[in-house]
Amino acid sequence: MDAVDILWVGLGGGIGSLLRWQIGRIIDGWAAGSSFKVGTFVINVTGAFLIAYISALLALGWEHRYGDVISSLVLTGVLGGYTTFSTMQLDAVKMAGAGRHGLAVVYLVVTVVAGLLAVVTGVALARA
Amino acid sequence: MWLPTVLVFVGGGCGAIVRELFMLMLGRYSAAFPVDIFAANVLACFLLGLVTGLHQENRASANAMFLISTGFCGGTSTFSSFIFGAYSEAMKPENLLLSILYVIASLVIGYAAAWLGLRATLRSRRA
Repeated sequence: MDAVDILWVGLGGGIGSLLRWQIGRIIDGWAAGSSFKVGTFVINVTGAFLIAYISALLALGWEHRYGDVISSLVLTGVLGGYTTFSTMQLDAVKMAGAGRHGLAVVYLVVTVVAGLLAVVTGVALARA
Repeated sequence: MWLPTVLVFVGGGCGAIVRELFMLMLGRYSAAFPVDIFAANVLACFLLGLVTGLHQENRASANAMFLISTGFCGGTSTFSSFIFGAYSEAMKPENLLLSILYVIASLVIGYAAAWLGLRATLRSRRA
């Protein structure tokens, strides 16, 4: 780890966050009126697929997250910045706050299950 | 449009660096339960709840939300590393249970942190 490595993570995190912001806006525009948070869901599932695909392709373990440009810039930076755990949780809190507790639980469980399926698919495709 | 873009970029970049610092500081203690990712996610959930509550009370501007909410909290927290880490550890039979615990603890404590953050700022108005 050195200063350049931290700069790669920062640059990637900035780019990934801009992607999340703009892609989220576009998807939520299409899904206007939906009580399910489609934008955050699609972003998290596609990010899960990409991290699994790239890691499996390059034979990088999940704990290998910095020290070279691909790990720092792409995996920890761009994909970490692109996906979000906090927005998913705040979405669930807002659903429950509106009295839709069941929807909040379904949203969290569906995101985790779809994320796992995306990871399995990504690993399988990279090894195919 | 240029200012929100800069704010989201800077906030997201700083958030990702904070997450890497968590990895550098806490990573050595984590095996099947990655405390670094867990801590970064829970911290971001609490902060996001806090700043969202402030925004609802008109005490945080739209630009503050771009910097802290969309940028910093989104950049600090990660779903991709969370779910890929959980999957990878669950593939090792000896780590399966701990990996399931990691997923459940992240969901429950992350949710509680976001709720607490939101409550803390909404309640401050009535105090």
